[in-house]
Amino acid sequence: MFLARIEGTVVATVKHSTLEACRFLVAQRIEADGSAAAEPLLVIDWLGASRGAAVMVSTDGDIAREKFGNTTPARMVVAGLVDQAQTPPAKGARA
Amino acid sequence: MRLGIVRGHMTLATAVESLRGKTLAILEPVTMENLRAKNGLAGGKALIAVDELGAATGQMVAFTEGREASNPFWPGAVPVDAYCSLIVESIDVERQEV
Repeated sequence: MFLARIEGTVVATVKHSTLEACRFLVAQRIEADGSAAAEPLLVIDWLGASRGAAVMVSTDGDIAREKFGNTTPARMVVAGLVDQAQTPPAKGARA
Repeated sequence: MRLGIVRGHMTLATAVESLRGKTLAILEPVTMENLRAKNGLAGGKALIAVDELGAATGQMVAFTEGREASNPFWPGAVPVDAYCSLIVESIDVERQEV
């Protein structure tokens, strides 16, 4: 699981049959120092994450299989909306 | 899932039984920079994914990686580690980081 920020939305008409009712969002993984990963990720959300929101993404496909069936290729899902994340101060920063 | 642009397709002369007849697409993953710029460039390291949706060259797709990529062939055991799950119609991201 990792922390990500929601960057936008995706519309797709042609998709795997198990993903018909899904909401797709573009997310960017956030590192411990607050920087963002180079490549965006497409995640499935049913919790209602909005643009700019910090979310926790799970890469375990089991919850998706439970929801969409055994043949679903879904893997990355928004597992929770972040309330508060405390991270240690970056190197060199004063505590 | 990551996002990728279809750069071409591939066929195999000889393949394991379970991969016969599968369409293979050559994908170039899209970086956040290129996605924001909407410049049609991708920028990632190319990979091959099974495509059952019929994505054309130049279209953007989202692909699943890992064990879940072979789920669509469940309960069969197919050596697939990347699978095109959807074809992107439109994508809405801010041009600048907010």
